Amino acid sequence: MYRKQVRRRRAILALLILGSFALLTITYGQGSNGLQRGVATIFSPVQGVADRALKPARDLVNWFDETFDAKGENAKLHHEVETLRKEAVAEKSAIAENAQLRKILELDKSVIPSGYEEATGRVIARSPSVWYADVTIDVGSADGVAIGDPVINGDGLVGTVSAVIGGSAQVELIAAGSSAVSAKVVPTGIQGLIRPEVGEPGALILDFIDSAKHVHKGQEVVTAGWRSRGLSSRYPPNIPIGEVTKASILEQEAQQQVRLRPFADLRNLDLVQVLTGGSRE
Amino acid sequence: MILTGKILARLVLVLVLGVILQLSFFSRVALFHVSPDLLPALVACFGLLGGTMSGAVAGFSVGLLLDCLLIAPLGGSSLVLLATGYLAGAYRERFGFPRRFAAPLLCAALTFFAELGFGAVQAMLGELDSSVSAYVVEDMLVKSVFAFFLGWPLYAGLRRLLRPALVEEPRPQRRPTAMGI
Repeated sequence: MYRKQVRRRRAILALLILGSFALLTITYGQGSNGLQRGVATIFSPVQGVADRALKPARDLVNWFDETFDAKGENAKLHHEVETLRKEAVAEKSAIAENAQLRKILELDKSVIPSGYEEATGRVIARSPSVWYADVTIDVGSADGVAIGDPVINGDGLVGTVSAVIGGSAQVELIAAGSSAVSAKVVPTGIQGLIRPEVGEPGALILDFIDSAKHVHKGQEVVTAGWRSRGLSSRYPPNIPIGEVTKASILEQEAQQQVRLRPFADLRNLDLVQVLTGGSRE
Repeated sequence: MILTGKILARLVLVLVLGVILQLSFFSRVALFHVSPDLLPALVACFGLLGGTMSGAVAGFSVGLLLDCLLIAPLGGSSLVLLATGYLAGAYRERFGFPRRFAAPLLCAALTFFAELGFGAVQAMLGELDSSVSAYVVEDMLVKSVFAFFLGWPLYAGLRRLLRPALVEEPRPQRRPTAMGI
């Protein structure tokens, strides 16, 4: 009797393990499948309600986190405010000049080139593990979203759509282990590849830069948006990505890389915009 | 664990609520820049209360639901969480119901194990093309500390909720001594 029970237990365990591997093998790289579509259809409204209902509680917990941070940053910010105040005067005249130049050059368009349409969505779920930099949003193929579409928010580039079903989509953030975005430093135009540092969504690496040209701390990095022989980047050009935070000459010459901080707060995403209809190669 | 229709309904409800709460709340809050992970602790509690099979089945189910809702490749989270549940169950079957600090400590240790497992699955799938930051270790350690504090009420609550279904081993009786104490 006991032996039979043990055998049955082992069989169930083996079945579960084999089932996991089989599911992984079948569904890996597929994007989405029938089971996920079914489950997501059932749970999407529940997740939507839970997302809205739990927002005040989330804000409260995040407020505590930000308060701890703010205490440490207070002194640093005082110094920064002084510097920024001085820069603001120069900035204002630069903005005015910039606006005039843009008007002259007829470049007064938004960052998003024509051909793209925007689908605005809300983040409804986030992967619990530090190894997975994915979020689920409440817009999907029914809203015109397709795999490969770039995702932005008010601050800059967020990631790209990696799987999509009717009413929701999975967004692989630029901090995900397999993410790579071709980018350039402005205004110098030095090009490189944005790579993440897994486990640290507040830091990115601009890799494979030309070691002969030097990038400086504080310079901005935007998407390169290349186009060559009928192929083009999935990201439109000039979408802000981040600001260079560490650019030692040694690191640039030896490793051809600099570090940057993404403009978008990848830990606290709420509303995002999917750019649909552009290049989807 | 003695499964009746009522107990099964409670189990399913707890697991589904746990996953929804994780995705909509815990994953999206940060304390000390780390989001707590409730699910390994939840699965570990199931294992500690029901044994290896309950832990493994709960882990597999939670992982499957998680992957479905995250539109991720199915099976990865199931594999990790079923191992987590199984290990918790193995502890229960070897040493009986955990006492005092054992349950939260096991939740913390198994959360660390699960986080390592998630990393291993990502590496196995070839999703880790980039350098891995040392913050990953910090994240896993802080998550384990959170799991210690979450595991406490979680274990107590689940034990209360599933009390009718639990098979309690008789406690060893204390023999009366000559002093009668």
